[in-house]
Amino acid sequence: MTARRIRIVAVFAISFIFLLAWAFPIVWSVLNSLKNDRDVLAYPPKLIFTPTLEAYRDVLFGSASILPNLVSSFIIAIGTTVITMLMAVPAAYALARLRFRGKKFAGFYVLATQMLPPVGIIIPYFLILRNIGWIDTYQGIILIYLSFSLPFAIWLLVSYFEDIPFEMEEAAYLDGASRLRTLWRIIIPQVRGGIAVSIVFVFLNAWNEFLFAVVLSGNTVRPVTVAMFNFVSVEQTLWAKLAAVSVLAMLPVVILGVVAQKNIVKGLTVGAVKGGGRR
Amino acid sequence: MAKPTTAAIPASGIAAATASGDLGRVLAQRERRFAAALLAPAFLALLATTTLPLMFLVGTSAFRMDLAMPFADGFVGFENYRALLADERFWSSLLVSLIYTGSTVVLQVALGLALALLVMDMKRGQGWFRLIAILPVVLSPAVVGMIWRTFMLAPEFGIVDFLAINAGLGSKNWLGDPLLAMISVVVIHTWQWTPFAFMVLLASLASLPEDIYEAARLDRASAWQRFRRITVPLLRPAIVMVVIMRTMVALTAFAAIFTVTAGGPGTATEILNLYTYRKSFTELSIGYGSALAVALLVVTILISGVLFALRRAK
Repeated sequence: MTARRIRIVAVFAISFIFLLAWAFPIVWSVLNSLKNDRDVLAYPPKLIFTPTLEAYRDVLFGSASILPNLVSSFIIAIGTTVITMLMAVPAAYALARLRFRGKKFAGFYVLATQMLPPVGIIIPYFLILRNIGWIDTYQGIILIYLSFSLPFAIWLLVSYFEDIPFEMEEAAYLDGASRLRTLWRIIIPQVRGGIAVSIVFVFLNAWNEFLFAVVLSGNTVRPVTVAMFNFVSVEQTLWAKLAAVSVLAMLPVVILGVVAQKNIVKGLTVGAVKGGGRR
Repeated sequence: MAKPTTAAIPASGIAAATASGDLGRVLAQRERRFAAALLAPAFLALLATTTLPLMFLVGTSAFRMDLAMPFADGFVGFENYRALLADERFWSSLLVSLIYTGSTVVLQVALGLALALLVMDMKRGQGWFRLIAILPVVLSPAVVGMIWRTFMLAPEFGIVDFLAINAGLGSKNWLGDPLLAMISVVVIHTWQWTPFAFMVLLASLASLPEDIYEAARLDRASAWQRFRRITVPLLRPAIVMVVIMRTMVALTAFAAIFTVTAGGPGTATEILNLYTYRKSFTELSIGYGSALAVALLVVTILISGVLFALRRAK
């Protein structure tokens, strides 16, 4: 074998190992979720078996259904996304394009809030929300989620707003358009790409959040990342059901990830260049 | 709060204002008001969810506050901080945090860079990498932790244990042994986030100018020389940025350890985040937990300060 052949084989082997390592835990969860209680416990682990949707039927429509938790997750993630975008787009525009005193400080403030470790502020959230009776409510969790989604979205959008040529706005003003109208009609369509990237990231982060959800949720509002724990206890783990719940919790973000693949890579790299990004 | 001044100055208005000589001032004032109106909602929300809670936190850290024994609550001044400095568990959790963060960031960047260089030269199959690499990154660390704890690492059930048995190592208690547990949580974090370093570095590699490499090849520079003299210096800003971002995330990691070991066995994988959480919400010592949270903030600020200074130093 020539050195070139060896090189090609080595590259292929290493690539294959990495791809397998990344895909395997996910694929394995999917396979386990399709097994019955006997197959899931088989040793050595079974790769070939008769697939069944039993576990899904149980976790979705059984006595301990996680359907309400999936609904909670969706309400929280969508609510956070909508409110974040409504606030972040105007703020990012002002930070990127308008002149005002304290602009530098405002930008720094947003960046600083983004660096806050969640564990560092969970105690006051818990005490304050308990005092105003907002524990275990959608408004409580969504409000707290703004603490990480807003700084991220603002920073991401600022970099998109900065790329628009100034001439576009000037032309619109000279035509007598108001500032708000210019922003809405001329500027925002230019940053559609950035808005899409932000929406994807804010939704992902809100869907995936765990620490705040553990402390601030309860029996009424409990996202699926927290509810998942019901299937693991000291006495026994309900393997197939746990796999099914994990897959259901992964499904929306994996679909979003695959569909919005380009957006995600763009968001990550914009963040890397500009210094944003959170988890 | 000022209403947005949306009315544009009509042409005649501009002429009049110019005549009176204060067009610039009027326009600047309108711009300021408009900016304030646009910024107000986001900044009020940020004040309410970050600055205010922080002040509250500093306040509660000066109290003895025990949800289990509320009758003993009271102002204690700096007592919590004095206790913290003498608390061995605090220092050990800080050390675990640093080991966890340092090792996973080094692994992520090294593996991510190696893989990016490898994939960059591929003529086919890049698409597969881009697709598969997205998967771990979009998942919730809580779900990732749960999957690893059960289907990957559970003794005599998980795949890792199955492979270990077949390799003749025997079944191991992956999450019950202090050293193995630490390695496991580092591997899990590295598994989830190496794709991030990989994707960012691959994008940076792709944006490097091709002609420098052409010239280097004509000068008969070896592959190692090309890597050492061209790729590394040009990629440096991206690598530094990835290191900063990954460090900040590893420092705030919580869910992937909480779901896998909950800090155990004992305190073997108890990073400062987990100690703070356990103290506050398991042992219910909110006051002391607040002091720990403040310490966590200080540590985070110090480390990010050092990192950004390194970045500026070039």
